[in-house]
Amino acid sequence: MRIPFVTAASMAIIWPWLSTVSFAQQPNAAGSASPPAQAEASPNELDGRKMFSSNCGFCHQNGGRHAGRGPKLSKSERSDEFIIERIKKGKTGSMPAFEGVFNDAQIGALLAYIRGLDD
Amino acid sequence: MSFQERYLAGCAALAVAALVTASPTRAQAPTQPQEAALNAEAAQNDWPTYHGTYKSYHYSGLDQINTGNVKNLEVAWMHFPERATRGIQSTPLALDGVLYYSGSYSRIYALDGATGKTIWTYVPELDEDLVSKQTHSPYNRGIAIGHGNLYVGTVDGRLIALDLKTGKPVWDTKLLDSKKMTVGFTGAPLVVKDKVIIGAQGGEWPYRGPIFGVEGKTGAKKWEFFTVAGTEEAMKTWGGDSWRTGGGGGWMPGTYDPETNTVWWGTANPAPLYDWAGADWKKSGPRPGENLYTTSVIALDPDTGKLKFYHQELPHDAWDFDSSVGEFVMIDRGGKKLVVHANKSGYIFVYDRSNAKVENVWPLVKNINFVKSIDPKTGELIGRRDLSEGKVDPPLCPAIAGGISWNSGAYSPKTGLFYRIGQEWCMELTVEKTTPVLEPMAQLNLGATFKFIPPPDGPARGHLSGRDPVTGEKKWEVNYKQPPLASVLATAGNLVFVPDAEGIVHAYNAENGQELWSRNNGMGHNAGIISYMAGGKQYIAVPAGWGSLVADEYVALYGEPFKSMSKNTGALIVYALRQ
Repeated sequence: MRIPFVTAASMAIIWPWLSTVSFAQQPNAAGSASPPAQAEASPNELDGRKMFSSNCGFCHQNGGRHAGRGPKLSKSERSDEFIIERIKKGKTGSMPAFEGVFNDAQIGALLAYIRGLDD
Repeated sequence: MSFQERYLAGCAALAVAALVTASPTRAQAPTQPQEAALNAEAAQNDWPTYHGTYKSYHYSGLDQINTGNVKNLEVAWMHFPERATRGIQSTPLALDGVLYYSGSYSRIYALDGATGKTIWTYVPELDEDLVSKQTHSPYNRGIAIGHGNLYVGTVDGRLIALDLKTGKPVWDTKLLDSKKMTVGFTGAPLVVKDKVIIGAQGGEWPYRGPIFGVEGKTGAKKWEFFTVAGTEEAMKTWGGDSWRTGGGGGWMPGTYDPETNTVWWGTANPAPLYDWAGADWKKSGPRPGENLYTTSVIALDPDTGKLKFYHQELPHDAWDFDSSVGEFVMIDRGGKKLVVHANKSGYIFVYDRSNAKVENVWPLVKNINFVKSIDPKTGELIGRRDLSEGKVDPPLCPAIAGGISWNSGAYSPKTGLFYRIGQEWCMELTVEKTTPVLEPMAQLNLGATFKFIPPPDGPARGHLSGRDPVTGEKKWEVNYKQPPLASVLATAGNLVFVPDAEGIVHAYNAENGQELWSRNNGMGHNAGIISYMAGGKQYIAVPAGWGSLVADEYVALYGEPFKSMSKNTGALIVYALRQ
């Protein structure tokens, strides 16, 4: 079953705000209060596509339009529930679990990006 | 004293003498590789360290198995590790007739080298929740032996010492907060004098890729060298605070030069992999500057962890072409003491061992366009292609998997040839401005999407060539439909062994590349192959088992047999001459 696109899209819209809050509350990797230089790309500009590029494109090639280490995702016949579950739980030996890394809104943004892919 | 008494006394004396002079029994077996064996060019009866010896030739001095009889090579015994997720990716070690190797999840096996009978096994308890969240996991690529211990790193950030005779834990030291930084250890440690040295994963992860020096006897951390901004000089090569998340792990083992008391180690690419700054990379983008000491070879004092000298092979690496890959082949020629190091870009660098001054640079692969060339006298990149946001045109060569991968080559002092696998492939690439995820658990920091494609001159493929290691002059070449992803072994029997991607292990004449023998191990190879002696007999040990991150690309690139090849299984297959 597919989650209505509007719902997924709205998750994508609220995600940057959640992300901003989240970043503001967290120290950076070295434990300093200084923001990392990568913050040049402001969290406010983030979206599912950029999250995908940073984390998922290593395996799902061409932005998810082509199989690589992982399967092609565009026009996937998998249900939304399956995709969300796979993002959260991963697959041993193939895909890391992103539960605890991304919150539900962020995963919604990724789902919206995947569902919006052309071939 | 009667004749009988003299006879008994004589027998007793002989028995005592025999006890004193007899070859060591298992209970008396050495638990420490000899210095002479570590410093030799050839591994002899043992394979005491990851690269064979500190010379890093991946060369066995044994010649029972040779060009004349290799056709009689057959399986002597096999061993099947449990839970071989992503196959087997490690290089075994051998000491005094015992073979040791690691499987996924840092499981360790000690086996009788002649029969395969299990002596002991060790299964560490890992943070399974953490492991499930890692990309480059749960494989392990090797172990080290020294101080009566066997050492192995774990993907949850620990270095563990086991008693070599019993497999019982001696100490277990947490070196990295892997839960926070994602990275752990997959590469083999290196024993140098009283220390055990290990480098963290990291390249596309936002940390600073430390290399650690740990006291072998106690497990106490003695030093930590940050490959990212590890000195004040290096700090100045990272704009803003970009050094805090710079990547640069030393994820494969380096080696040791006892003549200068220097550890040589290679470091990974900076993060993010792909930088959108274009030609303005010195001043803008996510990590402005040269980004020392990423994609570099660094020389460390093993006693203090202090940097002695270095060469950055790719200043401001914008292509993910680490220096972590590549063994350090120590060669003396024409009065010069040289070290040959393969970079992931497909270029081979030749250095002066005393100071890392570039002596030569030569390309192993044909399809390279990230630079026009590299100056063979200075190492300067000429005509570098710095990428901007958006689609990269023409596609980048080599692809992200590199012209060279982490599997080691071999050098035979007998033939004077360096045997190295090269990879010919490119990729379409779109560079994105991204922001790394830093909490609650860091993830990859790629900065692009990409797709593997064949190179302009033909299909995506691989080759093994026998070359002069200093000049690159090619004597012979063997081509493969897919790049082999396992290490190469050369032997004094004038043989070169190559375990390939489809599952075939080949033996070639080291002089001319003629194939003399092959066997199908039933699954692709992604590990290291060694030779050793047990009970006076030479063995060849090769782990089979498929599933590395580069291997995973083969389904989309080549289809079968990779589409149907099992990934989460493996076997150690040991060959010997038919009686």
